[in-house]
Amino acid sequence: MGDAKDILGLPKLGERGSTEKRKTPKDAIKKPDGIHREVYALTGGLPPIMPTLDPVSIKKRTLPSKKISWQWLPFSTSARTDNLQLYHWVRIIDDSQPSGDYAFAKYNKVVDSIRYTDEEYNQLLVDSSWSREETDRLFDMCEQFDLRFIVIADRFTPPRTVEELKHRYYSAAKAILQARAGPNDDLSDHSFFKDSYNVNHEVERKKALNIILSQSRQQDREDAEVIAEARRITEARLKAKGLEESQVSTRAALHVDTTPARLPSPAATGDISFLSVPVTVASTTSVQVTPVPTPASAPSSTPVQTSAPIPASTTPVSAPPPVGPRPPRVYLRGAWLAQQIHSVVSPAGVRTSKRVDQMLEEYGVRSKPKVPTAAVCAEHLELRRELLNLIQLQKQVQYKENELAILRENPYAEIPATPNTPKRPHRGLENERVSTRATAVGAEFEGFPSSGERVGKREHKRKAPARFQETPTSPPYHKRARKMKGSES
Amino acid sequence: MYGGDEVSAIVLDLGSQSCKAGYAGEDQPKSVFPSVVGSVESGGVVPDGGGDTDMEAAKPGEAEKAKARKLYAGVQALGYRRDHMEVVPAMKDGLVADWDVVESLWDHALRDRLLIDPKEHPMLLAEPSFNTQQHREKMVELMFEKYDVPALFLAKNAVLTSFASGRATSLVVDCGGGSTTVAAVHDGYVLQKAVVRSAIGGEVLTDCLQRTLEAKGIQIKPRFSFKRKEIRPGEFEVVPVELPNTTDSYYAYAQRAVVADIKESVCRVPDSAFDDNSYANIPTTPYELPDGQVIEIGADRFKIADIMFNPTLIQTIPGMEKYGTEAGVPFNGLPQMVIESINKCDPDIRRELFNSVMLAGGTAALQQMKERLEKDLMEEAPQAARVKVLASGNALERRFSVWIGGSILASLGSFQQMWFSKAEYEEHGPTYVQRKCP
Repeated sequence: MGDAKDILGLPKLGERGSTEKRKTPKDAIKKPDGIHREVYALTGGLPPIMPTLDPVSIKKRTLPSKKISWQWLPFSTSARTDNLQLYHWVRIIDDSQPSGDYAFAKYNKVVDSIRYTDEEYNQLLVDSSWSREETDRLFDMCEQFDLRFIVIADRFTPPRTVEELKHRYYSAAKAILQARAGPNDDLSDHSFFKDSYNVNHEVERKKALNIILSQSRQQDREDAEVIAEARRITEARLKAKGLEESQVSTRAALHVDTTPARLPSPAATGDISFLSVPVTVASTTSVQVTPVPTPASAPSSTPVQTSAPIPASTTPVSAPPPVGPRPPRVYLRGAWLAQQIHSVVSPAGVRTSKRVDQMLEEYGVRSKPKVPTAAVCAEHLELRRELLNLIQLQKQVQYKENELAILRENPYAEIPATPNTPKRPHRGLENERVSTRATAVGAEFEGFPSSGERVGKREHKRKAPARFQETPTSPPYHKRARKMKGSES
Repeated sequence: MYGGDEVSAIVLDLGSQSCKAGYAGEDQPKSVFPSVVGSVESGGVVPDGGGDTDMEAAKPGEAEKAKARKLYAGVQALGYRRDHMEVVPAMKDGLVADWDVVESLWDHALRDRLLIDPKEHPMLLAEPSFNTQQHREKMVELMFEKYDVPALFLAKNAVLTSFASGRATSLVVDCGGGSTTVAAVHDGYVLQKAVVRSAIGGEVLTDCLQRTLEAKGIQIKPRFSFKRKEIRPGEFEVVPVELPNTTDSYYAYAQRAVVADIKESVCRVPDSAFDDNSYANIPTTPYELPDGQVIEIGADRFKIADIMFNPTLIQTIPGMEKYGTEAGVPFNGLPQMVIESINKCDPDIRRELFNSVMLAGGTAALQQMKERLEKDLMEEAPQAARVKVLASGNALERRFSVWIGGSILASLGSFQQMWFSKAEYEEHGPTYVQRKCP
């Protein structure tokens, strides 16, 4: 407490007597000579050594020595040809008049214009399309307008185009310069000769520019669309060519039995939609869905169909890019396989992919092949696909059995919508179809009839459980079973 | 100013709607008044020589003309209603029609409003972009002979507007009172072949608005035709004043003044083309007429402003169905005029013109005009060109942009060599103006 009071500077009890003493010495130190005590203390509490400025002497400012006034005086400029006298304000210093030309006269820049004499005209410049008066007028206007040809063309009396005027002027000027130049003068540096005026080029350029600028927005949009379409078609054609070349190199990888080869034909005759849809997907680089087979796709499906029987035996594996994930130029097959697996399996969901892995384990298959050659990888991928399919179908079956059970109990019960029922819109089905197509591994054109028909089979399977009452499920199942047997053997 | 040199030049801009006059170097004209005069024809020669605003049309040599006219110019003189006073415009179709009227207007501007002696000041006159050689010579003659100016220059409106924004090349859209002109300026010169005109201007819009209001049953009373008497403290009663000797033209002129004020305060340009259905439920704006009546204006304010962009709307207004067909030429909307004008120019400069479309004129001070024009132009213009519409934000600057350009030009140091001086006039005659003022 005592310390607190000390800190605060408060007098302790019984020390009042000393405070009075303290006050007086403070008053004695203070020197109120017009400055505060603290300021005085800055100097060290002592009077300064050097004498300061007397404030009386500071107030007076030195007046400028020169006398400046403004006067309204006439002026003339060298840029004028007559002697018009206008007036303006001039800053006069010490009564001396300003000399020299008008300050702005130096901005009067003119273009060096070339004038010809009569003999020069008759010798050099006679031209069939230009009369003497026109040429004279042209050169006059060039001088007046400082070679602004657009303005000259605007005001020239028998109307002539800018190119004609320029051509006449520049050719005439060049001829005159050449004639006037002595043998020693070097004219190649003159701008007229360095960049000579090419009238035909100018005319063409102007025409093209005109066309560009006169197109309205609508036309531009249409043009852009047409160009984009053309690009797509050329790319599709290139791909088709690339396919055919790689079709020639057949591989003894998977021998697919004849059933897939047979299936395209009934599919082709019966339900062209399966093949044509994948074909249209492939023919447009963007994975667009064309719900109903467009007439465009029908003709394109036929050339692919003809190639379908040949590549049916092969399974697409190597270099040419598929529709879905594109392989890099140089890649490790193992890593590439992993990518492909991911793209195949992931759309189905995490749970199903885990199921697939589980099943692989059950069968004793490694999740990554030991020796990832092309054939092995293809097989592996196929296997995964099949497993995925199996799982999905099993799910379907389960759903339908559940439905059946419910219906048996209560014929009028409401059946909740399950996935893959026809209640889903047609487009959704298409999407599914397309996405599985698109993610087909190494699915080149040669391959996709086979995978296409596989999709078709899947399609069948999808539809079959849905339209439970309509189509018997047996043929696809049989085929499936047979295929599996085939692969296992 | 860095490049400026004050020579105390005077800038005069005579438009179809209003006349602007002032000193060069300033940012607004000192005197703005309507470019019409009130003319009272009195039988016999009027010996009146005094009075600043009076002008005798009967020259001494033409004493056969029995009637002399007293011309009253300026806002004050016109605002006062006189018996038998006709309103005579100075310009017709954008060009000067009546030189006496023009003289009286200039007299009023120089002597009454600016209080100067023309002998001491060089004059910069603004002329329409499509002015004929004849008119120019007459103007030059009038200036040199009557007013004895030391030097003169005639500049085209479009060029001055372009300079007001600091550009040498631009496409100037001048929406004035009497007409709308679209002109291309390249490097400081107007390209005469690319000038496109339309008779639709502020006055047409005012007329349309007047007809519309009349069709709705609203009677516009000009200010002189009634008195407001205070019958109780704070309440006024309108008492009509009988003035049988008022001429029709004066009555119409006064009415139009009221309607013009309505137009300027209420009208807005719609964001897209006007159609009756979409604007049927727009909230109305109240406006109080001079006689105390409050009127509500709803969709009409958009319709009137949209006439600039779609002139066929005029024909839907009752009383003006025959407007377009009288002239015989179908009118184009503003964006079409711009495109037409640009297409008449050389392809090399078209891009630059699209990039700098300038709005000027009193009618261009309507709200949202710039945005709407930009939007419409972007739709119609080719893809290759970038469209940019410039307009100063200030409505007054848009109205006076021609005058402001003149003010800038006449006070430039490097302009002083371009004046057409009296000595040159005396040496070469008035036709020399073609050479000196291209």
